[in-house]
Amino acid sequence: MTCHEAREGLSAYLDEALAPEERARVEAHLASCAECQRELARLRQTVALLQRVQPVRAPVGFVDRVVAAARPRPWYRRVADAVLLPLAVKLPLQLTAAVMVGLLAVYLFERTPELQRAARQEAPRPEAPAESFADKVTRSAPAVQAPPEASSPARTGDERERHDTPGLRDTTPPAAAPAPAPPAAAPAPVLAPRPETGPAPEAKTEAPSESVGATARPETESRPRALERGAEPARPAPASPRLAAKRAPPSADVVARVAVKDRDAAERELAALIARVGGSVAQRRSEEDATVVEALIPQPRYAEFSESLTRIGSWRVEAERPDLPAQIRVILRLQ
Amino acid sequence: MTYQHRVFGVALRMLGNAAEAQEVAQEAFVRAHRGLGDFRGDAKLSTWLYAITSRLCLNRLASGERRLLRQGEDALLRLADGAPRPDAALERSELEAALQRAIAELPEDRRIVVVLRDLEGLSYEEIAQVLELELGTVRSRLHRARADLKDKLERFLP
Repeated sequence: MTCHEAREGLSAYLDEALAPEERARVEAHLASCAECQRELARLRQTVALLQRVQPVRAPVGFVDRVVAAARPRPWYRRVADAVLLPLAVKLPLQLTAAVMVGLLAVYLFERTPELQRAARQEAPRPEAPAESFADKVTRSAPAVQAPPEASSPARTGDERERHDTPGLRDTTPPAAAPAPAPPAAAPAPVLAPRPETGPAPEAKTEAPSESVGATARPETESRPRALERGAEPARPAPASPRLAAKRAPPSADVVARVAVKDRDAAERELAALIARVGGSVAQRRSEEDATVVEALIPQPRYAEFSESLTRIGSWRVEAERPDLPAQIRVILRLQ
Repeated sequence: MTYQHRVFGVALRMLGNAAEAQEVAQEAFVRAHRGLGDFRGDAKLSTWLYAITSRLCLNRLASGERRLLRQGEDALLRLADGAPRPDAALERSELEAALQRAIAELPEDRRIVVVLRDLEGLSYEEIAQVLELELGTVRSRLHRARADLKDKLERFLP
């Protein structure tokens, strides 16, 4: 055995990992070779050095990290942890959520006229919940009641009676037919009024006596423009109707209430009138104390429509869009 | 989890960097946990863990990033020294530092063998199993590694 062969086996010899006959040959060589003996001794010392190396320890927390990584918590534990927050966290969260939902509901109600309308229609006495809204509209557009008054002097008596119905209690007193001749119609851009039927001049002085009428007044005077009935509805909204328009449901351009004696008869007349002006009934429904008709009226004939409507009953606009489209969607509430 | 220190130790000796070693050791345990179903009863659990750890270390050392680092002796020495400062865990003494450096300078295939044999105390047969090598290969690699270390640690020998 050469030194080279022997040295190849020295490491295994140290570890007692040689087969018996190989081991015997290595030992035989070592016995005769001082150089290889020295080599064996150095190797042994080297291994001894290596074995003195301090074993390293895994860093603190290593096991926890490994466990966390190796065993993902079962899903139901994770769900439970997510849901079962400590009360100290959960209660304020829930309270906040409840308040936010409440605020959102109020906000949506305020911003959605349909909801307000629905609430009004569901109310037992339709007038009561509508009051604030209707009053606002009425006040801001006092001329709404005026037209019937002024329009047909021939039927004044009749009209007046209708006006005295409770639904219109907060309107201008009949005597105070709101406006002076040409400007008279001005406060009523809301509804095509009858401009040609100029009311008595003496009314002029009385209309402003109403506090709200006064606010409408400057508007009136600042706009003494010629009042053609066709132009009327299209006219840019003065301040007050704009307020009403804001409240108008987006689905309808005009919302009005018509006080009638006989709902069925009125509805028949209304249907005839709508047909006459070339409009159509989009929808109708009967409620306990009212019949609601939704009609489409061509804009050029809207003035005629509104005038004729006074023959069916005294009516009052609750809301109106300032800029009326070609097809005016009118919601009439016969009651 | 009695093997945590051993697995971490092998990774640290092989990679020379505690952060990397921890990463690899953690990965080894995660894999072992996942593969527990594949674990065959004929091998010792420790052997199996060593096998996973060794493979992870060698793969990492063979990856491009590492190879770039080890191009040239300087890079190798920097790695061995753990420049700018070696891991505190390793530098317990001058001998300790010299040992670590000498081990780090070994080629990977020899390094893993000497780590498993002289630091971890595995038998030749176990090493052959862990590294999927012939017994003769284990023996010769170990011998080369020790001879190399002997030369490098000359001054510490009596």
